[in-house]
Amino acid sequence: MREQPSRRTQPTRRTALKALGAAAALPWLSDAGLLAFARIQASNASPQPKVLSAPQFRTLEAFVEMIIPADDRSPGAKEARVADYIDLLISELAPEDALRWIGGLAALDAEAIARARTPFASLTPAQADRILQDISRNERAPRTPLEEFFVMTKDATIRGYYSSEIGIHQELRYKGNTFLREFVGCETEDGRDCPHCGQKAK
Amino acid sequence: MQADRTLTLDLGNVIDQSRRAAASIMPGRERWDVIVVGSGAAGGMAAFQLATAGVKVLLLEAGRLIDERTEYRTMEWPYASMRRGRLPPGERPIAVAEYNFFDRPYANNPAYEKSKTVASYSSNTFTRNWVVDERQHPTTGTPYAWVRSRVLGGKTNFWGRGALRYGPLQFNAASRDGFDVDWPITYDEVKPYYDKVDVLLGCSGTVEGLEQVPDGVFQRPYKLNCVEIAFKRAIAKMGRHYIPGRAGVTTEGVLNKYRARCAGRGRCGRGCNIGAAFHSPTALVYPARDTGNLTIRPYSIVSEVLVDPATDRATGVRVIDANTREVLDFTARAVVLGAGTLDSTRILLNSRSRAHPGGVGNSSGALGCYLSEHIMGIRGSGFIPARIGTETTLDDGRPVSPYIPRFRNVTDRHPDFIRGYHFQGGGGCTEFPSMAHEIAGYGKAFKSNVRKYYPAIISFGGFGEVLPRRENRVTLDEETKDAWGIPVLRFDYRFRDNELKMAKDMADSIEEMLHAAHAEDVSIGREPLPPGWSIHEIGTARMGRDPKTSVTDPSCRLHDVKNVYLADAAPFVCGGTQNTTWSILAMAWRTMDILKERMRTGEV
Repeated sequence: MREQPSRRTQPTRRTALKALGAAAALPWLSDAGLLAFARIQASNASPQPKVLSAPQFRTLEAFVEMIIPADDRSPGAKEARVADYIDLLISELAPEDALRWIGGLAALDAEAIARARTPFASLTPAQADRILQDISRNERAPRTPLEEFFVMTKDATIRGYYSSEIGIHQELRYKGNTFLREFVGCETEDGRDCPHCGQKAK
Repeated sequence: MQADRTLTLDLGNVIDQSRRAAASIMPGRERWDVIVVGSGAAGGMAAFQLATAGVKVLLLEAGRLIDERTEYRTMEWPYASMRRGRLPPGERPIAVAEYNFFDRPYANNPAYEKSKTVASYSSNTFTRNWVVDERQHPTTGTPYAWVRSRVLGGKTNFWGRGALRYGPLQFNAASRDGFDVDWPITYDEVKPYYDKVDVLLGCSGTVEGLEQVPDGVFQRPYKLNCVEIAFKRAIAKMGRHYIPGRAGVTTEGVLNKYRARCAGRGRCGRGCNIGAAFHSPTALVYPARDTGNLTIRPYSIVSEVLVDPATDRATGVRVIDANTREVLDFTARAVVLGAGTLDSTRILLNSRSRAHPGGVGNSSGALGCYLSEHIMGIRGSGFIPARIGTETTLDDGRPVSPYIPRFRNVTDRHPDFIRGYHFQGGGGCTEFPSMAHEIAGYGKAFKSNVRKYYPAIISFGGFGEVLPRRENRVTLDEETKDAWGIPVLRFDYRFRDNELKMAKDMADSIEEMLHAAHAEDVSIGREPLPPGWSIHEIGTARMGRDPKTSVTDPSCRLHDVKNVYLADAAPFVCGGTQNTTWSILAMAWRTMDILKERMRTGEV
């Protein structure tokens, strides 16, 4: 029942509006918002951040990819367009909340520049990893602004990544949301030893 | 493009149809025997029972009709929505209430921190067109998360499907612990109606022989998955039960052309677009309409019950048209209120006249009192070792989680509190791995740990009985009006000593059970959610034999006005731990049988 990922050329406002139906009447989505969303959906399009500057976006993208990276099993947060997701949501936040994100990105770049005289996105993997190690240390009770920024970015990254096509299908290999004749469950329910959990039928 | 169609559904047709229907149904054009107010579980069942018996019914729904083929988006993936199911800030229907919790990055306000992972019914793209906007429907007084839905079928379009019946422990609760009063009717009187509801609507479950949650006439049950079997075996050693959830969903089919049997997709809370889950429109209202005896008037906000002072009988109800704001008085031989416990109570409180200065049915002064529901928010989770590091399996193709029936104050007597609680919960692989928020760290290690623990999660949430107390009440707030000029409800409702002691025991007992199952990384939530969260409100027009202390008689008819009946949970005396819907359906059926008989004999 999976929907195929869309592969499209750059959408125009007209195609975006058409796909969104009555969206023209909706006050909260500007033209820029519509187009930005359309670009996210066509995931081969280059990012067009709505509120973040290009350097801020690069920092965010590098940061979320550090939190959930690509590995043998599946692509990471970057390919799942988590930075675009967060950028769009920041664009709808109250100004003081949006500023916490902008400020967090600035603090992360400042930390990178202090340590290696380069913005976060240009750090070597080892350099970036040392920063992540430091700012993730107190994630249950963050104390510094960077520790807090780590927690809030990780939270949003989890939500954006594991609700994406990549997260659900490639990473989790989620099997539900399909038509079943009957829900199966643990095979001990049918009187057999279960191959999934190793529990005996009894 | 998989656009954010969640926010841009084309409802033009159903809105046009609703407006045309409202405009065509006016007072005096037709004669109706009975007016039914509300079209959810209560009003839907009332309309069905009356219309199928040949009674001419006018069903008044405050909202519009529903286009369930368009609006029930059962299988939509989260990535179809740019905000992954959440709503943009200005679009949250409920902007005022305490239960407005958002995930980051929607809000970083510390006030939301406590319950940030709780996705409100009102703040998702599936239910936003059904749940009322609190800016139009405010409340005053103590905080109360009053979830209301104004659309054909009401909250049954997205209810939780828990189909548990009350038993002797509820109907005779006072006899067992001395608190408050028993219901004026017994389980034996209601049992045949529960059985008939099971057969008519379909109820999935297992026969267990437990007094605390009596068995029904069940269709095929849902099996437990691996982590649940491990948990069940562990707590069986403690003498506790963990049984398949009882769901108001047909697994084997019912005699209803609008409904098919369950296909195990597991997205029922957005509306089941094959009709396997019980929703009032497909299960009750459309079949009732097909008899030719039912007229449905949408956009009809009932403001009061009209009573003739000469006879002290209701002549009908006053309606404010939600669009035109016309005031329309509809008349009938009898009035059945099924607007939901609190809205039915509000209508009665607002029905003020010289003969009934405190509202219709309020000569006892008990109308609005004894508000009760369930205390929620106590939760526990952990990882079951047998599934740590195993491959993904299909674990969530079911409408409800399994269920730990009440075990306190059943055969023993707890030293700290009376009554009891139950847990609902389960685990395994779900579409969104909330457990990832519990996994520490970042990077490849984090990602592979999420994968490793993903199939092993098990989690539970408790439902505890809130004692019915006279001082937990609603009154009419004359100073504050809703968008149609009707006074709103002022709440005076709090959890008290018994609930808080019970909540502490809930947290301790779920912790104990998770440890018994050798769960790893056990996490316990000890903070109750805001009052009202259960959406199981009952009791504000309680039934009794004595008109001095109760609002309705044992047939759910007002003591004071002999042709007004309540079909929702307002007359319920106490609510145990059970989800309320199945009892509403059974009681509404019973009440309609009584009403039909009184109409036949000419008493009404």
